[in-house]
Amino acid sequence: MKKEDTVKLISAEGFEFVIDKKAAMVSQTIRNMLTSPGSFAESEHGEVTFPEISTTILEKICQYFYWSLQYASGKETEFHIEPELTLELIMAANYLDT
Amino acid sequence: MSQPSRPKSPDDQTVMYIRVKRNKTTYFLQCVPSESILQVKEKLEELIDQPVNDQRLILMPNREVLDDSKSLADQKVENDAIIALTLRKDDNEFEEVNIIRPNDFYQSRETDGGSNW
Repeated sequence: MKKEDTVKLISAEGFEFVIDKKAAMVSQTIRNMLTSPGSFAESEHGEVTFPEISTTILEKICQYFYWSLQYASGKETEFHIEPELTLELIMAANYLDT
Repeated sequence: MSQPSRPKSPDDQTVMYIRVKRNKTTYFLQCVPSESILQVKEKLEELIDQPVNDQRLILMPNREVLDDSKSLADQKVENDAIIALTLRKDDNEFEEVNIIRPNDFYQSRETDGGSNW
């Protein structure tokens, strides 16, 4: 796995999540940030900061990206969401166009 | 009679990911159960610029130190597992497991439900 194939997502509290670009692009918002360089300052150096998304939510979203890739390739498993996360998760998913 | 099934290569079925954590960073790594711990460390080496010999991977929460020569499946590392990464310090010992957790996750709900509807 090469560094260039990964992107770092940073939460509101400054926690970092390093994931494959392929996984990150499950989000249309992130896909746009990464494929049109220059228009989004945060996407330089392959790092994107989300000051309005908390760490727990961002981690759940990363897990969702990978689950989504697995599901698309035929492995149909459940994606469990703790109830107390749902509201924030919906708002974040809306922002990320996921 | 029965529909022919699409031959699936072993990799399709068993691609998994693990979460390698150290301090405030989590690395999501894709892998397969038959991969060895050494191979996982080699992937990490590319990301963090630390040689495999200076890395120690520990399966959480039971804190089992993972063996380079064995595979993920051998050591019961499952999909989405959390693995702590510790690095060798200057004095040649490995650092302690240190994973910082955000304090916004409600672990228990004994106190008021906080509902303000």
